[in-house]
Amino acid sequence: MSALPAQSIPAPRRAIDRLRVLRPAPEVVGRAKPRLAYAITAVTGVAAIIVAQMLLSIAVTQGAYEVDGYQVAQTKLARQQQQLREDLDRVQSPQYLAANAEALGMVPNADPVYLRLSDGAVLGEPSAADGAARSTAPLVPNALIDGVPLVTEQQTGKTPTQGNSPGAAGNAGGAIPAVAPVPPPVDGALPTPATH
Amino acid sequence: MNRTSRYPMRRILVFAVVMVVLVGVFVVKLVDVQIVRASELNVQAQDARSVPVKVYGARGDIVDANGQVLADTVMRYDIALSPKQAMKGPVSREEPDPADPDKTRDVDVPLEQVAAELGAVVGLSGDQVQGIIANALADDPDSDFAYVAKLVDTATYEAVKKLDIPWVVPYEHPSRRYPNGAVGGNLLGFVQEDDGEPLAGLELSENECLASENGEVSYLHSLKDWVRIPGTEVVHKQAHDGGTLRLTIDADLQFFVQRIAEEQRRAVGADWATVTVMEAKTGRLLAVADVPTVDPNNRDATAEGDRGSRSFTAPFEPGSTFKALTAASVINAGKADPRSRITADYRYLPPNGANINDSFFHGPTPYTLTGVLIDSSNTGMSIFGERLSDQARYDDMVKFGLGAETEVGFTGEEPGDLHGDPAEWDNQTKYATMFGQGLTTTAVQIASVYQTLANGGVRMPVSLVDGCETADGETTETASEGTRVVSEKAADETSQMLERVHLEGWLADKWNIPGYRVAAKTGTAQVPDGQGGYLSGYLVSVSGFAPADDPEFVVSVSIMNPVKMNSSAASAPVFQEVMSQVLKKYRTVPSGAPAPELPATW
Repeated sequence: MSALPAQSIPAPRRAIDRLRVLRPAPEVVGRAKPRLAYAITAVTGVAAIIVAQMLLSIAVTQGAYEVDGYQVAQTKLARQQQQLREDLDRVQSPQYLAANAEALGMVPNADPVYLRLSDGAVLGEPSAADGAARSTAPLVPNALIDGVPLVTEQQTGKTPTQGNSPGAAGNAGGAIPAVAPVPPPVDGALPTPATH
Repeated sequence: MNRTSRYPMRRILVFAVVMVVLVGVFVVKLVDVQIVRASELNVQAQDARSVPVKVYGARGDIVDANGQVLADTVMRYDIALSPKQAMKGPVSREEPDPADPDKTRDVDVPLEQVAAELGAVVGLSGDQVQGIIANALADDPDSDFAYVAKLVDTATYEAVKKLDIPWVVPYEHPSRRYPNGAVGGNLLGFVQEDDGEPLAGLELSENECLASENGEVSYLHSLKDWVRIPGTEVVHKQAHDGGTLRLTIDADLQFFVQRIAEEQRRAVGADWATVTVMEAKTGRLLAVADVPTVDPNNRDATAEGDRGSRSFTAPFEPGSTFKALTAASVINAGKADPRSRITADYRYLPPNGANINDSFFHGPTPYTLTGVLIDSSNTGMSIFGERLSDQARYDDMVKFGLGAETEVGFTGEEPGDLHGDPAEWDNQTKYATMFGQGLTTTAVQIASVYQTLANGGVRMPVSLVDGCETADGETTETASEGTRVVSEKAADETSQMLERVHLEGWLADKWNIPGYRVAAKTGTAQVPDGQGGYLSGYLVSVSGFAPADDPEFVVSVSIMNPVKMNSSAASAPVFQEVMSQVLKKYRTVPSGAPAPELPATW
């Protein structure tokens, strides 16, 4: 009765001890042989990445030259644009326009006359423009148009075959209306376009 | 066996400690380099491999009401050379080989020839270029920098580049340009040529809108051909373009008005003249001419005193054009109407001891208020004016915007002087202020007074700038809300009287505009000499508006000391021509009904 528990208690301890000290080495199970495919895949992948990076790098560098080329071209074009805009601004300044108009013999008419379309009434008192052509240039100076030739001067300069006489510009203008524009038919009312 | 296994734990510990220390050192160094000194090292690295490049922000344009450019920024170039390098020897240059057209050979070009070529491009002689080099070397034998030409245009720049001289360097230099020359030059002002510092006019007063900010970037570049390496650009400072300033001015009208004004100024031998065109319903200035006018492209051609805008900066005693204001004040207070009757002699001696005279002799005349304006009688105006207290008249003047700068806030704008306030007026001044002497106003202020009368008694703020559009597209606009100065009845009745002045005054046949009703008043004012007396010359003026039945435009003309025609007959034709042009330009419908009849006498 009493011996049984005395025997039975140490028994598991001993078993454990033995297990700790003398454990048989696990039997080596033959590891699966690494497959060549994986290695090839990995190495190829690395190589592909390196090649791709190099290609990208080359492309970017090549792009840099292309970009640089475009930038140089853009700078050039911007300069050209500025130059042309300067010319345009110059010749559309009121001084230049007025000087050209005067050179062509135009004079301003200070009396405006209006035709009211609703009832055909003439508002204002029509009168012919009078007065000699005035010289504006010194009145409102513009240093930018100094030395820019007037239209009349350019015409005689550019078309030397026609421009030997001062009347050349007039002749050139007179040659155009050989086909006289047909006046719109007027029968009592203002001409109106026919709408369908 | 013993060696390796006796104290395994100690070995592992030692190894671990060494590893921790080593890694710790790396981490400390890493943090130090990557975080603590990161910016400093970055700058060092950038400096070692790249050059900072200035990026120019463009100063904003000034455009007129229709968008026509009055001032813009263009790139100009300064050409510099290195005297030291220039003297080092001839320039080697590739040229096609005459023996074999397909090949090139290097040719040595002597300094004389290079200097001559460079000079020809920038407009100097070869000797002058060599002189620049010699002078620089005389000052400093080691000189490495001297300007050959400044602010040359793009064509010249490209020609210089084409010469490909190794010791010549062009530098960018943004510059200001005024494509319309003197058109509006009085208003635009100008900037310092060298550094673009605004000096006068709108360039100065609206600098906040126009000013740009230069930026700076740096990038790495390839060694040989200076190509930018992608992804290496560092923006140190962002460049900002200035805003576009839109004016109320119409450039074409401004040109026309300046032309007429300058023509007349020369014809009558005047010191200066100003013409102001204003929209009656909005207070917008359509043209402000001051002649002589500076061409901002070439400001040295104009005398220093003529480079601003006298319309804003030169107050003068307005004279009889001011009578319209006094008449409106008296009517507004209910003390008179256009038919009110008085009798005025050519001399009036009020009880306070003042002495008022008319400019022409006449006996006691039975004038109405209308008649007083038509004949521009000082004595008559005094009899009407004294129906109001000085303080009441003064208050009205202030409400009309006198004695203070206009809303424009132009550079150097003057407020004018109402001779202090009524408490400081002496006996003569109390009467003189009724007909525009003894106080000063600017031309724009007078235009504003007539704008108020034309607009039914509502004064609109004077505006010269429509708004500022910043580079991001935001627009700031100037607010415009009117203030009532006199009743609509007072304004309309004054307007009707001014129509009679235009029809019956002594210049009636000189300033008629066929088809339109015009309200206008002349003035021939004495000019103070600054020492309590008056000069012999006069300031002649006309102010008025049209069409009188529905006023659209106010025109005010002042001509200073026209020695060849010392009366308002000098200013009337300018008024007539300018007003005709304005009405024509803006397609104003001609007046239908004739002007209302008002008796001048009784």
